[in-house]
Amino acid sequence: MEAAVWLIILPLLTAFFIGISKLYFKKILAPLVTGSAIIYLYLLILVINHSYPPKVYNVGAWGLMGINLMVDPFSAMFLLMIAILFLPVIIFSVKYIKSHKHKYFIFTYLMTAGIAGMVLTADLFNLYVFLEVSSLSSCALVALKNTNKGIEGTFKYLIMSTLGSFFILLATILTYSLTGTLNMAEISLEFKDIPFQIKSTLMSFFVFGYVIKIGLIPLHAWIPDTYEDSPIPYNVLSSGLVMKSAVYALIKVLYIIFGIDFLDQSGMLHIGVFWGVITFIVAHLLAYQQSNLSRLLAYSSVAQIAYITIGLFVGTEGGLIAGNFHILNHAIMKGTLFLVTAIFYYSLSAVKIEDIKGLGYKFPILSFIFVVASLAIVGLPPFNGFISKWLIVEAAIESGFVYAGFFILVGTFLSLTYYLKVIVTLYTKTEKELLIVKPTLSLRLPTIFLGSLCILFGIVPSIPLSLINKIPKFLLDNGEYIRILLGG
Amino acid sequence: MSRMNAMFKKLYKLVLVVSLAIFLFIVFDEIHNLDNNSKRYLSEHYISEGVQETGAINIVTSVLYDYRAFDTLGEATVLLTAAAILSFLVPLGKDKMLGTTFTMIVSQTTKFFIPFLAVLGAYLILFGHLAPGGGFVGGVVMAVIPILLTITYRVEFSEYKFKPAKKKLAEDIGAIGFILLGLVGVVTGSNFLANGQANFGPGNTGELISAGLIPFLNLMIGIKVGAGLAIIFNSLIKEK
Repeated sequence: MEAAVWLIILPLLTAFFIGISKLYFKKILAPLVTGSAIIYLYLLILVINHSYPPKVYNVGAWGLMGINLMVDPFSAMFLLMIAILFLPVIIFSVKYIKSHKHKYFIFTYLMTAGIAGMVLTADLFNLYVFLEVSSLSSCALVALKNTNKGIEGTFKYLIMSTLGSFFILLATILTYSLTGTLNMAEISLEFKDIPFQIKSTLMSFFVFGYVIKIGLIPLHAWIPDTYEDSPIPYNVLSSGLVMKSAVYALIKVLYIIFGIDFLDQSGMLHIGVFWGVITFIVAHLLAYQQSNLSRLLAYSSVAQIAYITIGLFVGTEGGLIAGNFHILNHAIMKGTLFLVTAIFYYSLSAVKIEDIKGLGYKFPILSFIFVVASLAIVGLPPFNGFISKWLIVEAAIESGFVYAGFFILVGTFLSLTYYLKVIVTLYTKTEKELLIVKPTLSLRLPTIFLGSLCILFGIVPSIPLSLINKIPKFLLDNGEYIRILLGG
Repeated sequence: MSRMNAMFKKLYKLVLVVSLAIFLFIVFDEIHNLDNNSKRYLSEHYISEGVQETGAINIVTSVLYDYRAFDTLGEATVLLTAAAILSFLVPLGKDKMLGTTFTMIVSQTTKFFIPFLAVLGAYLILFGHLAPGGGFVGGVVMAVIPILLTITYRVEFSEYKFKPAKKKLAEDIGAIGFILLGLVGVVTGSNFLANGQANFGPGNTGELISAGLIPFLNLMIGIKVGAGLAIIFNSLIKEK
């Protein structure tokens, strides 16, 4: 499983080489980043293909003494998300980003390395280190445009993210002092003897820390500010990967270290579902009031993450499958929406919803894709969002969370109202003459690719589901995961 | 009324902090009272076997650059990112301290001091696996040189002596060097960042060239940390 470690070091190497190329040979930037992204795609496919049964890679060949990487179906699903989003975003950004181009690519690659590290590692402290790599480089990307709003967003993001990291680090330290090890499998075995109170305190630290990074209500306030004035292709990765990787880490810590039985006993599953319901209702109501397109999409992201939380905290096999499928779908749908928004911004610097009035006739294909993606995110058939949302509702009702199922349907109508508002504006005719810079093929192609995936995964959901169906086996029963990680 | 309000706000923060402190104290106390001394096999292994397995006499170094070298790579990357964020976020403004002119004594002493700092830094980095020190500490001492120049002779002089581009280059080279040294393990048929397992062997423990890759990894981290801290300091007090 050599390729697993390459998934982390290839983006790191690329980032540092971009740093050197900035000083001496500026011209090779575009071939360097595209070439590296293509090789990265190949490596990702290689690792995803070999993810079942799970494999372990010892960094430094230290066995249980050192750090282990592990590829299981859950991490493979996240690698699949990177594979789908990363190359299109890089191709898109080569043309789109104008200022601080080198820095943008350095941080994008560092962020990807951090996310790949978080997804692959099976070591609690290593998870924290890569979390810091990804969230700090994400902060730097928010500040990239160097506008007042961008810096305000970065500052809020830095404070909140540091607060979250503080709690995660505290919990990690306490876990180490309790168990004397950092390997997730060994911690999980040691945790069986720890008293209930201490375990639940540790769990609350982990949950609080990660929830800040995920951005559930009332800890969401920094998210719209970071989306508002940052480079829009970055928003694709931010909503698709950075927030999701925090969800990944939380779920991994809760399900592997604490185990499903403890989550049920301590009532964490009920708290998670309830928190999710509150979050998406508030986020939908807030999204309705926005006039800025990026902020609207940001609040919509908060709401979608809440759906994912509900799916993952239902605590059944169906719930985990549904939540994971929605993670993948949301990354694709939100990616499409942001890329179309980015093209609108590129062509006529449209920021507000009223700025895109009448663009439906100027950009027929792109507007059609926007409509497809927004209907998918609302959850209408036959798009991918419908299927995963349907699965979440089904799983919630099956395990007794009837109120969650009911409110998800209410939330669907709420989200329909504000997305319809945007779509109607898009197709309203105006007399105004617009100065339009024509988007090149390298901007349109990634957008069309992601948009077509919305339809493809809606019609043939069995393609991603064949991978996702294997996930619950290693999360619901952490014994299986522990056995493989310990090499038994 | 507004005074009451302000007092309430202050009091509320105080109560919040104190209650968090009490809560953490209770948690730490509970954890401390648990009898978990039997669960120290990992640290005991590091202490008892560390020298034989890695060849580094300094235990901290053996953990940082061998057992958990992958974390060190991540931490060094965090440092680079933090330096870059600072250069974005800190507004360019004039700092009062920089307007101060120092007397002869200060500038002469600084001049006299710098070679010693360089020697100390180099010693800390190169002997990191034998004596207290290592790449991070040595790098910090090295970074003191440009920082001293900045404080005594202003930013322009410091940046004339150590060009910002060169510092960035050093930072990148340090990071790339760390990864390439890690890949040496892959090339020889073992895993990433393998040291003893890839037959670089501990060597004669106690000699300068021993402990396999550890001295070289130390050097790379030293370069990277030194350059990174110098960049951070200069971007913090840059004047315009």
